Amino acid sequence: MERAAGPAPEGGSGGPRRSVRPAGPGGAAAAPGSRQPSVETLDSPTGSHVEWCKQLIAATISSQISGSVPSDSVSRDYRVYKRPDIREIQDGHNGYHSEAEADQVALRDGNKLAQMEEAPLFPGESIKAIAKDVMYICPFMGAVSGTVTVTDFKMYFKNVERDPHFVLDVPLGVISRVEKIGVQSHGDNSCGIEIVCKDMRNLRLAYKQEEQSRLEIFENLVTQAFPLSNGLGLPNESWKISKINSTYELCDTYPTIFVVPTSVKDDDLSKVAAFRAKGRIPVLSWIHPESQATITRCSQPLVGPNDKRCKEDEKYLQTIMDANAQSHKLIIFDARQNSVADTNKAKGGGYESESAYPNAELVFLEIHNIHVMRESLRKLKEIVYPSIDEARWLSNVDSTHWLEYIRILLAGAVRIADKIESGKTSVVVHCSDGWDRTAQLTSLAMLMLDSYYRTIKGFEALIEKEWISFGHRFAMRVGHGADDHADAVRSPIFLQFLDCVWQMTKQFPAAFEFNELFLITILDHLYSCLFGTFLYNCEQERLKEEISTKTVSLWSYINSQLDEFTNPFYVNYENHVLYPVASLNHLELWVNYYVRWNPRMRPQMPIHQNLKELLAIRAELQKKVEDLQREAATRSISSSSARGSSSSHSASPVRTSV
Amino acid sequence: MLSGSKNSFKIQPHAQGPALRGAKSSDMNDQRNCQAFPCIPGEHVLEEAARVRKIVCSRDGQESIVGTLYCTNLRVAFVPEPAPGDTVGAPRCSTCLHSEHDVALPCIGRLVAVNSFTKAKVLTASSTLKFIPEELVLYCRDFRVLRFGFRDSGLEYQAFQVTLAIVQAQESCNGSAGTWYDSTAIRNLENAWLSTEELSSPPTLLFESPCDWEKELRRLGAAGWRVSPVNERFDMATSLPKYLWVPSRLLDNELKRAFGHFNARRIPRLCWHHPGGSDLLRAAGFHADSDPEKEDVRSVEALMLAGHAQCVIVETAADLPSPAEIQLSYLKLRALCLPDSSVADEKWLSALEGTRWLDHIRACVRKASEVAALLAERSRSIILQESDDRDLNCLLASLVQILSDPHARTQSGFQSLLQKEWVVAGHPFLQRLNLLRDNDREESPVFLLFLDCVWQLLQQFPASFEFTETYLVALHDSSYIPFFSTFLFNCQWERDRRNQHRASNQIYAPVNGWREPLPLEILQKGDRLAKETGGPYLPTIWDWALRYTTQQRAQFRNPAYARGSSSVPNGNLVPLGGDKLEAALSGNGAVYLFAKGGLSMQTHLFPWKNGSLSRKGWRWAQSSESLSEQDRSLRSKPTSCPLQPEGLLLPASVGPLIRLWRRCYLRGSQEVQRGLFASTLAELAEELDLLRERLGA
Repeated sequence: MERAAGPAPEGGSGGPRRSVRPAGPGGAAAAPGSRQPSVETLDSPTGSHVEWCKQLIAATISSQISGSVPSDSVSRDYRVYKRPDIREIQDGHNGYHSEAEADQVALRDGNKLAQMEEAPLFPGESIKAIAKDVMYICPFMGAVSGTVTVTDFKMYFKNVERDPHFVLDVPLGVISRVEKIGVQSHGDNSCGIEIVCKDMRNLRLAYKQEEQSRLEIFENLVTQAFPLSNGLGLPNESWKISKINSTYELCDTYPTIFVVPTSVKDDDLSKVAAFRAKGRIPVLSWIHPESQATITRCSQPLVGPNDKRCKEDEKYLQTIMDANAQSHKLIIFDARQNSVADTNKAKGGGYESESAYPNAELVFLEIHNIHVMRESLRKLKEIVYPSIDEARWLSNVDSTHWLEYIRILLAGAVRIADKIESGKTSVVVHCSDGWDRTAQLTSLAMLMLDSYYRTIKGFEALIEKEWISFGHRFAMRVGHGADDHADAVRSPIFLQFLDCVWQMTKQFPAAFEFNELFLITILDHLYSCLFGTFLYNCEQERLKEEISTKTVSLWSYINSQLDEFTNPFYVNYENHVLYPVASLNHLELWVNYYVRWNPRMRPQMPIHQNLKELLAIRAELQKKVEDLQREAATRSISSSSARGSSSSHSASPVRTSV
Repeated sequence: MLSGSKNSFKIQPHAQGPALRGAKSSDMNDQRNCQAFPCIPGEHVLEEAARVRKIVCSRDGQESIVGTLYCTNLRVAFVPEPAPGDTVGAPRCSTCLHSEHDVALPCIGRLVAVNSFTKAKVLTASSTLKFIPEELVLYCRDFRVLRFGFRDSGLEYQAFQVTLAIVQAQESCNGSAGTWYDSTAIRNLENAWLSTEELSSPPTLLFESPCDWEKELRRLGAAGWRVSPVNERFDMATSLPKYLWVPSRLLDNELKRAFGHFNARRIPRLCWHHPGGSDLLRAAGFHADSDPEKEDVRSVEALMLAGHAQCVIVETAADLPSPAEIQLSYLKLRALCLPDSSVADEKWLSALEGTRWLDHIRACVRKASEVAALLAERSRSIILQESDDRDLNCLLASLVQILSDPHARTQSGFQSLLQKEWVVAGHPFLQRLNLLRDNDREESPVFLLFLDCVWQLLQQFPASFEFTETYLVALHDSSYIPFFSTFLFNCQWERDRRNQHRASNQIYAPVNGWREPLPLEILQKGDRLAKETGGPYLPTIWDWALRYTTQQRAQFRNPAYARGSSSVPNGNLVPLGGDKLEAALSGNGAVYLFAKGGLSMQTHLFPWKNGSLSRKGWRWAQSSESLSEQDRSLRSKPTSCPLQPEGLLLPASVGPLIRLWRRCYLRGSQEVQRGLFASTLAELAEELDLLRERLGA
């Protein structure tokens, strides 16, 4: 089987591990010969790449919450990408793609309708297959017939007979699974495919069996969709930046540099690494600027059934405790359930025993594993897509346990943050490997403790550090490019983290600089593979695949239009620790994300514009006040009489934010 | 200071009412503080405790404010001690009733005394308090929970006394409606407290005078309608307002013939006129003894068709919960939302679903948007018909207007709407809210359900309303405060009698109508006292300045409000298609029945005209043969409303979009960090004002 190209935006950077095979029971029916050659490397200059990414996503935004939704042009089904006019963009570069493709289509079909239903393309994007008279079986409005186009980036379906035009635009990265399904219709030799998406929707297409060309679509969908299978005052006297991992020898899933206690020797680090699963030694995540209490993260100790001990590891944890003069205790938060941790012991893993670590207190946070979370999300999808059982909506949400798991996670993070802030005690967080629950907990606790991470830049740094650098296995958990939808290593761990963040933004609406769209955008591009940010599993892989030169970071796109992602109510509560209420009556299902495909769930009317205007007025008034104050100040200085209290007085009530 | 014998105290039911008891005068301390406490006329302090800590939630977790706790004959009040920086003697608050620290006695739902050595004890007049309470928790009926800590005060005796006094005062205020009418001498304060600042905003129409009715009718541009003073002396129907909007061509003589045909003589009358020509009317069900053969049925027909070729009768009760169901649901909701709820966290959502409160909201929102769509679809008259026209008709009529009329989404428009469709229309607030606990059987918070519906709309259309969530919470709280005329009466007739005491010969006894439910002695007592005090009016709830400071009121205004926002159908399909209906509606004076989301043709205006139908009262018999299926197909077809005016809102009512009003119902939760939960929109507005102010200075 051949290797398929990576999505065009990445510039064909795919490093496929898997061969492609059609998934699903009907997969065998596909004739291998009908596949189109699809290897294609397209180099687009990085500058223009950013430009069209912007164009692409500007459209995304306008069709989502913030922008004004022109009701006349938006069809009733939700679209991921609404593009103003792609042709214009293409002309701006070189039009040969679109012209060539258009000619091709015209030649092939000679059909006006099909031309109108043709997909708009980005520069560098190429059409792999076109099929007309395909039925999209919309769960909300019934069957819609139209033309399907598969490119090396997306699947595009359009119907122009309806008014407004009906469009379906699915980046291939969003697709989790494609299955052939039998369509029972009288004598008609139809068959269908079901496209299961990672973003909470399933799409069903039906077409007539006998027309051979249709097979292309399925083949291409399969081949194209699965191309693969700061600022903490460091170092200080207690903590140093270590470069021992510069060649990823100590730990291949850690970054090259991290922060460890100053007094620990490199030899000892190696021994500790040998005692910790996957060599993931305790490293510093966060240090309290005043109390010096720290959050360190690691994987489980390899205690095993015989209660093996490691002197260096024990000393290491003691050193972490000693680095904080405020407390004579160290809390180890094991994210797992106690029983599971015990089971792990039999498999060579385990947890820190009290006898070996006398000054440490071990707390189990009782968080379930990735499989439980995956199952919970699957159930959640079942109850939100396509139809919602209104009468039993809440108990159905209850039965998925999704919010319950969110609660447990938040509660765990609150405990960590509280130990640091109120107890002034250092904590060590681990689960089994220290890249799923550990990343969730440390990053949530950091969000609660440190207002920097609640800014847009800070949040990006948080994700880069706690998730990307420290080896959350994005490719594996999301299943980028892999066709094995049933892969047991997939799990919505990162989604769950962002859901927790969303819950916090709901509870503290003024404490975060970013808005809901920011979080949704991150999630959309977690799957879209349009940016390199979430590709691969760890820094080492990314370095090898030259992600930084071949792809663009999601953050460059986001930072280039901060306006769209800024929370107008943001007030920087500096040095303020947030403790979200981790109780189900204060948690809500993130409806704007999970249920967004339901046309009856059209989001509330946009007030983004109103708010922006208000903010503009505020900024203007603030400026005037400042001007007047300055004027008053100079006047009072010149008169040298009674100093006005205006300057000191003004600081408190007027917030200078946004 | 504390004698051993005082440790246990059996609370004796007092022979005297609290109003008649004099203020304690034995203690010098008391005297001094009594003067410090800003009593309203008619109010006196029964007991007090100094250096009490009120436990509040703040940005930094729990905090406490030190102050004095008073128990008066009207309320439990807490006056914070001036902070060190404050100038001594400066008034702590600029309102005469404090919305945050005060609880009117009838609003107290449950009193719990807490002591670290024993388990918490629910206090009633017959219970024995065997310990010195360290903390007193007041569970209010408006979902607030107030906590007062005595522990550090060193004044155990006071703690004991004030607790007992509160228990006693609260018990004895129940069922004594009279106390509230007369001792609420707030009426005299009104002029003093209401400053001129209120004048800047457009006034709320109270619909007590004919000019309010005229004014509103002009605003609606309802040409074919006039204001009829036929019920000016409440001699047509006691529960109806004094003035009615009726078709211009119908003379009062003809009109009078229609009254007998409706329950409680509540005839069809105009609520709202659609700019596209449709009219929204409301009426009670047909009276069981109404005789269709009588000549005066013509008046009824003229009233109902109101000059339109088509008349749709909306059976209000058909899809909506009954008042009893609402009450049941509300009790469950309250039990669930109180902080001591026993529901396990994992079961919270299921338990919430089990209350059915959100289901009821969904039903109301859905029905209202269906009716709003019917109104916008083509020119017709739509009559909301409910058996007694005093509960869900109020809710539905006002919701439909909020959806259809942008004016109803301004603060003054909304308040005027509530006056028109609830207050003067005779929603029995006293019975339904049961503020004075006269009769638990009639209790049903239909009005609170309505407020929740409005909150849902506010969530879905955040820029369409001039007011905020804070305003709705204030309105919600106000319904448990017995100092205002708005929610203290069952109908306008009653309100007028109590409120503006005139010579008794001006009040006509009701003929044939709805009977006054108030106990006679209260009326008599009220009369006597009304003569004594001779005050003009009890204030209405709309005098916000009495309870809310300027800053608090600034938070009522929605900064994101876009005046005249264009129509936003929020993902909901318009329920009925026009064209198919058109064909069916060729005949003149066609009557349709709208129930369960579908229209069905009626052969006659009156169900009993068919002859075969039993005269079982007002209820319509479903005469349609399998029309429902056709209706379904009509419903699912999205059509544009040809008569759609600017600003028609069609809310969605799918499961995930109907939410729990957390800020209202979960206020008692100790975990809530209030500072950060505050409505940020309102904060923004406040800040803007501050800046403007500073610019002006």
